[in-house]
Amino acid sequence: MAWDKETELKLRQVIKDSGVTLLNENLVQGTWGNTATRLDKDHMLVTPTGLDYIALTPEDMPVVQISDPSIWKDGKKPTSERKIHAAIMQARPEINATIHSHPIYCSILASARIELPVMNDDMQRLVGGSCRVGAYGLPGTKKLKNGTVEAMQGRSACFMANHGVFCAGKDMDEALEIIRVMERSCYQYIQECTLKATGQQTYSDELLFDYFVAQKTAPKGKKK
Amino acid sequence: MNKTVQTILEYAQRLVDEKVVGESDMISLRSELNFMYVTKAGVKLCDLTEQDVIKMNIFKAEKDYEYHAEIYKAREDINAICQCYPKWVMPIAKAGVTIPAVLDDMAQIVGPTCKTSQDNISSIIKTLKGRNSCLIKDKGCITSGRTLDEAYTCVLVLDKASHCFVASSVIGANKIINGIEARLMRFIYKTKYSKKNQENLSVKEEEQSVSEDTSVKEESEV
Repeated sequence: MAWDKETELKLRQVIKDSGVTLLNENLVQGTWGNTATRLDKDHMLVTPTGLDYIALTPEDMPVVQISDPSIWKDGKKPTSERKIHAAIMQARPEINATIHSHPIYCSILASARIELPVMNDDMQRLVGGSCRVGAYGLPGTKKLKNGTVEAMQGRSACFMANHGVFCAGKDMDEALEIIRVMERSCYQYIQECTLKATGQQTYSDELLFDYFVAQKTAPKGKKK
Repeated sequence: MNKTVQTILEYAQRLVDEKVVGESDMISLRSELNFMYVTKAGVKLCDLTEQDVIKMNIFKAEKDYEYHAEIYKAREDINAICQCYPKWVMPIAKAGVTIPAVLDDMAQIVGPTCKTSQDNISSIIKTLKGRNSCLIKDKGCITSGRTLDEAYTCVLVLDKASHCFVASSVIGANKIINGIEARLMRFIYKTKYSKKNQENLSVKEEEQSVSEDTSVKEESEV
């Protein structure tokens, strides 16, 4: 064990607080999503599987071995997505905190499997360029893990096809900042695409509704 | 307070808090094989009180409660129903199209697709065959489950999947999960992940029904 107890206690609280922050900022729903923070080169703390972020205590977080995430101790049963967190931490020594979640606007881009271009200065600074989409894989599979690691190369965020988003930072504050900028940037992209498709000047959800209904109910061959 | 009524009030508030309700939402919970507790027609879920949850024989249900009663009659596997009008479901119900598996959680919790039914009970029962959710043309959606928690979760996931389907259609790309993989995820979810959780909740809701049986007999049945 290459970390002291004081550091571990502090990081347990960091994980607990990150879950509450994601929930409060509507960046996670229910018990879904998970976060991790590095303890040392080969160990990380992760959120447990299927537990409410408010009810979760710092002591509930299990310690997972990065080189073999099937090995864990302390706390409650770790998230089933721990293999992806471990793979990113193993491939990227500069990364100390990771977040996987399904916020709504990121989920839209993930379901469309669209590579998000750089939308603003914050995205360039924090994500490091466009946000790529990892290859689709069933949850918990090697294909999903490898696709995520590949899409993250040289970036601090990527979409997981038809699933959600993965973000990584030098610490949890930075990882949270990245997921916030990703959600804002995805929203900006959707607004711009909707305005372009409709030819309108001002975005509203109703504009999106109306365009969708018009497209889906138009006689064949009449779609714009 | 009757515990089944308390459960319904709790989930009604959750639906309101999640902003997935409209004007005429209604939720119900089967209490015994032939009885259900249902929220009063015409009462908004945000205004719901204990007096607005009524017990009803599903074979003697009034017209306003027909959809819920008929689904319970047709499907003994269903113990809870949410009939809601979530914002993002509405344009799809209006267009009358099927939502494909756009997200993993939709494939798992709702199913590989969610179809739109015509607004009549025979069409709804037919559309629900082998499924636990459907949209209703020009209306909202019906979700169901072994527990109210399952039906409630289904509303949230369906609204999110609908938002993704609508927005991704407009931004120019719907990439759908392969049908076999979507069905596999649904199978694994039903047989593994949700089983223990829902069994626990079923037992809890059953215990609540049993424990209140004595007091329920003294209440008036609508």
